[in-house]
Formats: sequence, C-alpha cells, structure tokens
Amino acid sequence: MQQEKVGTISLGEMIENSSGCIAKIDGDSRFISRIISIGLTPGSSFTLLKNDGRSPVLVFCRDTVIAVNRRECSQIYVKVEA
Amino acid sequence: MAETKTIALLGQPNSGKSTLFNNLTGLHQHVGNWPGKTVERAEGFFCYNDVEYKVVDLPGSYGLSANSEEEVVTRNFIWNGVADLTCVLVDASQLERSLYMLADFVGVRSPVMLVLNMMDVAEAAGKKIDVKAIEKKLGIPVLGFSAAEISRYPEFFKKMEAAIKHPTCLDSADLREELNAGGETPLHMLEEILDDLKIGNSENLWLAVKLLENDKLVRKAVKDALPFARRNAVESILNSADGRDGGIATGEAKYRWISKIVKETCGEKSPEKVFGKWDRIATHRIKGKIFSFVIMVVSLICCMILAFPGMGIGFGLQPVLQSLVERVCGALGLWPVVASFINNVLVGGTCITICMTSFIFSIIFVFRILEEIGYMARFSYAFDNWLSRLGLHGKAIMPLFSGIGCTAGAVCGTRVLDTRGQRLLALVLLWAIPCGSKVAVVLFLASTFFGSAAAFFALGYVALIFASFWLSSFLFGKKLVPENERVGMIMELPPYHKPHWKMIAAMVGRSTWGIFKKALKMILMVAALFWALSYASDGNVENTILYKIGNAIEPVTMFFGMRWELFISYLGGMFSKEASLGIMSTLFNHTGEAFSLVTRVAASDNLGEVLANTISKPEALAFIFASMFNVPCVLAMGTTYREVGTIKWLATIMGYYIALSLGLAFIGYHIGLLIF
Repeated sequence: MQQEKVGTISLGEMIENSSGCIAKIDGDSRFISRIISIGLTPGSSFTLLKNDGRSPVLVFCRDTVIAVNRRECSQIYVKVEA
Repeated sequence: MAETKTIALLGQPNSGKSTLFNNLTGLHQHVGNWPGKTVERAEGFFCYNDVEYKVVDLPGSYGLSANSEEEVVTRNFIWNGVADLTCVLVDASQLERSLYMLADFVGVRSPVMLVLNMMDVAEAAGKKIDVKAIEKKLGIPVLGFSAAEISRYPEFFKKMEAAIKHPTCLDSADLREELNAGGETPLHMLEEILDDLKIGNSENLWLAVKLLENDKLVRKAVKDALPFARRNAVESILNSADGRDGGIATGEAKYRWISKIVKETCGEKSPEKVFGKWDRIATHRIKGKIFSFVIMVVSLICCMILAFPGMGIGFGLQPVLQSLVERVCGALGLWPVVASFINNVLVGGTCITICMTSFIFSIIFVFRILEEIGYMARFSYAFDNWLSRLGLHGKAIMPLFSGIGCTAGAVCGTRVLDTRGQRLLALVLLWAIPCGSKVAVVLFLASTFFGSAAAFFALGYVALIFASFWLSSFLFGKKLVPENERVGMIMELPPYHKPHWKMIAAMVGRSTWGIFKKALKMILMVAALFWALSYASDGNVENTILYKIGNAIEPVTMFFGMRWELFISYLGGMFSKEASLGIMSTLFNHTGEAFSLVTRVAASDNLGEVLANTISKPEALAFIFASMFNVPCVLAMGTTYREVGTIKWLATIMGYYIALSLGLAFIGYHIGLLIF
C-alpha cells in the first residue's frame, strides 16, 4: 500500500476522537458504490468515534454514525486534522 | 373506481419505508416474490377519494445501483416506468446523507415526490428544514412527514393525490453542472456519444453516470443498443484513466448537489454529539456483547410475558370447550366420532394455534420495538464478527437468539435481515435452535433414560447445535450468500428513537392476524389428517391406520433405531413438540380410549416409567438424537414457508433436517448397541 500523500493514513490507523478528512477510497465498484451511498466520499470530513483494534470502526459523518468493517477500513485513506 | 394508480416506495434502510407501507395498506397487503426472482415483493392497496392505489414497497437498497438482486429488482421497476408516482423517502434528521437516494434518482424521467420522513425527530434535534424552499428548489412535491404518526396521513394523501394529478420529474440541469464541474469530463463525452439513445425511462445523463460507476447491467444495455462505432467510443472512454474511478467522482458530485440544496434551504445547524454514553457501552468489544446479551434476555422474558395471556386463553379454553362439546354431542345423541373430531381437530387445533400465535405476536412486537428504538443495529455491531464467519449479518443474532423462545416467532423475526439470501441462511440455522418445548422434550427423555447423565446430553446438545451451524453454513452459505456479495459491515447506527407503541402494536396485530388465519387453516388440516389416521371406533390401537402403517414401515425405521411407536412420535414431533410425548403416552400405555394424539399435549404421569421399562438404551439414544434435530412444529414450518415463498425451499430445509436427525439417530443407535 503506497501512501500517495504525506500525512495520509488508513482509516483503521486513526486514533479515537480525532477528526479527519477522507483523501482517497480504493476498491472495486461494488464497494465504492456501497461506501458512497452511505455517505463517505473523498473530501468529506468526519470524526472517528471508535477504534478499538478489533470491532468495526465507527465514524461520525454527515450527521450519521457509520460502522465500517476493519478489512474495508484499509481501503479508505484519510488526512488527519491537526 | 376507474383505474388503479401505482405508487412505488423507495428509500434506504431506516428511512421508515415499511412503516409507511404498513400504515397505508393495513390488512390489504400481499407478499410474494418478484417474477423469476427470489426477492420478496410486498404490495398493498388503499383507497382515497374513490381512487384505488396500489403501493409497491421496493426492496431495500442504498441507491439505484445494481449490486444485489434486491437492487436490480428495484432499479428495473423504476426503469420500466410502471409507477404513476415514486415516493422517495429520506430521513429528515440526516438529510445530507439520506438525500443520496434522490440524487441517484435525478435523470430518471418518472414522476416523483419527496417524503422527508421523521420530521419530528429532526425538529426535536433543533434542525430547521424549510420544506417549501426545498420544494421550490427541486421542482417536485415535497412533504414533511412522520410515518409513525397516524394523524399526519391526511397530509400525505393530499400531497400524493396532487402529485399524481400533476406529475413532475426531477430536473437534471443542476446535477449535470456539478458532474461536469471539471470541464471536459468523461461524463460529458459519454453523454455526447449516447446522444439520442433511449433506454427505459432514464435520460442519458443517468446512463452515463451509471456507466462511470461501472454498472454492469447498464453497460450491457448500452452496448446492445449502440451501433458499433459509438459502442467502441464508449468503451474507450470507460477504459481511460478518468473513466475508471468506479464512481467516486460521480458520488462526490451528487453530494455537492445535495449540499447546495441543504445549505440553501436549511438553517445553520449546530454541531451535535450523537454518540452518547449508552453507545460507548453498546459498541464496546466486550461490554457491548454482555450488554446486548442482557437486552436479548430481557427481550425474551418480555416476549414470554406478552405471550402469556394468549397462552392462557389457548390452554384454558381447551378443556372447557372439550367438555362442552362432549356434553352437547351426548345430549344430541351424535355418534362419538363427531365429538372426537370436533374435540381433537377443531377445538384442539384452534387452541394450539392461539397459544402459538400469541408467541409470534409477542416476538414480532418486541423485535419491531427494538428496531424502532435503533437497538437492532447495535446488536449487529456487537455480534457481526462472530456471525460473519457463518456468512450472516450481525443482525441475525436476534432472530437466532429468540429461537430459544419460539421457532415460529423467530422465523418471522428474520425479516430484519436485508437480503433474501441472508434470511434463508438464517432460517436454515434457526431450525437447529431448540425452542422451549423441544428442550423440555429432549431433557425429559434424557433424564428418563440416563438419569443424572442428562446434563451431558444438554452440553452435547449445545455442541451439536454449533456443529450444525458450521455444517449448514458450509452446505448452504456459499450458495445463499455468495462470497462476492459478502461486503463487510458498512452500515449506519441510527440515532435512538422513541418507539410509537400504539402504531407498532396495531401493525404487528394486523400481521399476526394474517399469520393466525393461515396457521389455523394449516394446523386444522394436519390435525385432521393425524386424527383420521389414528381414529379407531372401538378405541383399539390395533385398528388404526397409523398402527398398520407403523407396523409396515418398522423394518425401515429400525434401521435408524426407532420402533414404530417411536417413529410415529418422531413424526408427531413435526406437528408439535409436546405431541410427540402425547403420542408416546398413548401408544405405550395401550389405553382403551380413542386416540387423542395430536392435541394431547401433556405426557401421562407414568410415561417415564413405562418408557424406561419398554425401550432399550440404544433405542432411547436414537430417539433423543432424532428429536434434537427434528424439524420444528407445524406452525414454524408454516411461517417458514411464508418467508421463503416456495415449496422447494421449505422442502429443502425440511429434507436437510430430516436427513440430519435420522442420520444422528442412526449413529446414536449403532454406537449405543456397541456400548450398552
């Protein structure tokens, strides 16, 4: 997994309660269609609510709490806000 | 009434679509399958101002893509333009996200109306939504609504009637502008090539968007419709670097389109935290599971309490009615066969149905409440890791768990799952989970024959159930939930809502009434069959058809270690679990009375003693194993049939469990012969 931009990490690597902005989404069109229809698109900012290393990650984006499976998290790259 | 107007309901999960559907159609609904598909088709009717409306509840989908069978059905329906009006439902409290469905609808030339559902929740959260402004901006009818509040339905009817009288479609100019924001975009080029192409009722903007989103069905349709040169031009754009982003750019554009609408029509919202203390616990890796487990147990207890009055009526009514029937028949001087038929089939069957459906009512009710509150999604989150190994969504935990209470009710509960494949797989697994009655029967038998060793049976039973999960998932999982459809959990945890008790009770009451009527018919038929087979005018067992059949097939059933009395009890267990004990009481006691097999729910007092004296241990082992994985009761099979929709699937699941139970009986018997 090459990192395209400096400061870009995968969603699963974020720390709880930090905010970020989605930089890039990888994956087949099926996955992309699903993740976009639930409200996560490149450029959308969100807060990471929960990331305990095993359960799906929870993010808060567009007024919605969204659970994303761990494997899928590795296909979502984010820019963490300082 | 001149003609029927068709209204289609379209919305993401949690948009309140099924609530609207149920409240619109009440008892006038029909659930079947889409032709040639294995997707549930829910339709209903209602009348307003002397016009009949047909409502079609389009199967759950997140957008108008074609990634699952459900979505394909939904999309084709919209594409074909059958509906006089499509109501797009969105959650007003999450407007920015849920308007995506509407954004995906832009470019479909079909009359549409937007329903902003859960306005009450949005208002309570302090959101200011200017419905009029949205209506003006979009150019289609928009209704601020709350599907759970019956008092608001007149507004819906009025709006809908007007929307059908003056049909309006969404204008695609604004979205096109967003999509072409980058200038010479692949979308723009595609649109030019498609030019005057017409497929379904969609504009070629919509087709171009779907092409970029790598929608295989649209790609094929376009390919088939275009001449060679233009087809190649389309392919070369889609294969270029810009054309391969799989819909990220179009998705972004759709959300920009949404943002503009929301910004122009809704007041500035203050950022709010929605992830409270409860959610921290509910989603914790360990605490969340414990918490969910506690809630499940409490729910199950609530189910039992709710079912209690119905059970009481069913059980209480039976002896009263039966003695009444006997007295009346005696006074009228009718043949005893008449009284026997009325008592055993009509009275007994009806009372059993009342008992069982009261359980179904309570389970569906509690499920709906949990779903309405928003807790069902938290369950899914907590148990997704475990269940995804079986190919199931986390949501399946609740129906599976409630199977401990009543299989038939739990079967109805599998509705919470989104796709048919998921529902079928959950049903297959669910049948292995013993309901309270089955546990009682198995433990009674185990303790009768093996005394204190029954505890080992209980443990072994649990282990066998888990093993059967693995086996079922192995045998059925790949077909029902194909590997490539197993997208890991991506779902929203909806905010907690206050449940609308009355509305849910009415809704569940209506669907239970439907189940009751069907179940009664079926139970009476099966009861009549059993009764006819087991009736002897002189009360002598040897003069019944059952005895003759039983004797004839005994050489075969002994192969599985079951003498005919036991095999008939095994068959009786398919009617109800208690019936298998009732049948044994009658068969082994050789009592002089006419058979009351089917509806005789209690074991006679000395049954244990009689059994222990008559049946050898290997035979007992065989029968216990057979009972463990026997198919559930007739009502559970009936509700399963209702859910799967085809005899083929019901027969498949039945065949699987009959094979499994007889196979285990065979193994148990032959191992037993070696040991004892």
